[in-house]
Amino acid sequence: MIAVEGLTKYYGPIAAVEDLSFQVDQGEIVGFLGPNGAGKSTTMRILTAFAPATRGEARIAGFEVHQDPLEVKRRIGYLPERVPLYEEMVVTSFLRYVAELKGVPRAQRTTEVGEALERCGLSHMANRLIANLSKGYKQRVGLAQALIGSPPVLILDEPTVGLDPAQIVEIRQMIKGLRDKHTVLISTHILPEVAMLCERAIIINQGRIVAEDKMENLTKGGGGESLEEIFMRVVSSDRADTATVKKGATA
Amino acid sequence: MSSTWAVCKREFKAYFLTPIGYVVVGLIAIIAGMSFSISFITHADITQNPSLYSYTAVPDFEETFLSPYLVFCGTLIMFLTPLITMRLLAEERNRGTIEFLLTQPLRDREIIFGKFLAALGMLGTMLLVVVVNLFIMGYFVRVEPPVLIFGLLTVFLMGASCISLGLFVSSVTKTQIMSGTVTFGVTLILFILGNLGEDMPEANPAPEGWPGTLRSVIGIFYTLARGLIVELPVDAHAREMALGIVQPVDIAYYVLFSAFFIFLTFRALESRNWRG
Repeated sequence: MIAVEGLTKYYGPIAAVEDLSFQVDQGEIVGFLGPNGAGKSTTMRILTAFAPATRGEARIAGFEVHQDPLEVKRRIGYLPERVPLYEEMVVTSFLRYVAELKGVPRAQRTTEVGEALERCGLSHMANRLIANLSKGYKQRVGLAQALIGSPPVLILDEPTVGLDPAQIVEIRQMIKGLRDKHTVLISTHILPEVAMLCERAIIINQGRIVAEDKMENLTKGGGGESLEEIFMRVVSSDRADTATVKKGATA
Repeated sequence: MSSTWAVCKREFKAYFLTPIGYVVVGLIAIIAGMSFSISFITHADITQNPSLYSYTAVPDFEETFLSPYLVFCGTLIMFLTPLITMRLLAEERNRGTIEFLLTQPLRDREIIFGKFLAALGMLGTMLLVVVVNLFIMGYFVRVEPPVLIFGLLTVFLMGASCISLGLFVSSVTKTQIMSGTVTFGVTLILFILGNLGEDMPEANPAPEGWPGTLRSVIGIFYTLARGLIVELPVDAHAREMALGIVQPVDIAYYVLFSAFFIFLTFRALESRNWRG
């Protein structure tokens, strides 16, 4: 469903992402891990056809992001790292607007919006002004926005940031519920979250993939290491080699 | 098409969900209303006693009141458009909603025309306020319809040109303040230059004694510069048109002016695909 081949992105002389290749199959939930500034958000921006790649290609459902951006955008729901919201709007009217942009037929918009509100636990906040919502609720609105039109591919950049523990559990449950129907790529640096949600994890550091495998293989292969230990190992060994070269690469 | 409409609707509503719409409409209501009352009453005084105002006969209503008033409204709108256009794209960039907008299944033209139409909608709202004044006038005076229609068209075209300029500036700036200030500055500079340019003599400024070739080169550049200064400002083409004297060149000027800046807006938005 998501296929990335040799993806490279330079910001000036700085490589944010270098020669990234991976695949996500239909119905999979894959965790995209890495320390701050590893290139997670950059990769996601390229996948959603928001930013161009310097080299390489990325396909969503068979469509190349740079050649068919419109087809790609029709198939994705995207929650950016910085949740983009029109603060002057009421939650429902914002979601209706999203439904309209995504081409949800008029007759289905109300049910579609209602469903998204329900799934993200926003029903009681439906008529609030977005500006007046707390950070956690804004995050949920961002999530609801990505779900509208039930796109086959969901790209979620740190979906549980800013939520309280109870909300985190709820949102995780919800994301788990997306399995099979949607293909999900989640970026995060909360490791237990990946262990709970994902079947597979891709760990990147300094713009390169340093580990990629099924969850059980990742933890088994390292001789009973926890995900945390693996993460520390791959990230720190890589950091020692390349930190001086690519210091300052932005996410 | 429906996406253009969706963007347009949201954008137009946003004017009235934030104070900006009320500020703009309020300002135009106050300023256009006051100047209407003052000059209408003055005109009434003149018609009562023309000789007192050194007129030999009752002056033509369209020429002395209606079309100058409409040009004034156009100029007023011209200086208020930065308030309408400053947020269009700069605000999206500043809040990060541009990332949301550009990852929706939208074509660039749906975004740009949606926003342009919304700003034209605000322009229409401002014109409605002016039209209210004209209704009061219509109660007292009969005017020639062409003057009224082309006068309003002039105001609309002036506004549309400024909006396209503002939309472009908004597409290359990061904050509303920057966008509004630059648009206002450009409009003001053009306006002042245009007014000064009218005093520039048409003759070649190079002294008689200079060699012939140099003189003619200076002459060519001077004519070109003068032509630009006089013809480029948005209000330069308004006066005659507001009198009902419609020349294709004036309409073409406004259409081309708008088209040029909308074209630039497209290029500015597209630049994300090749810029690093």
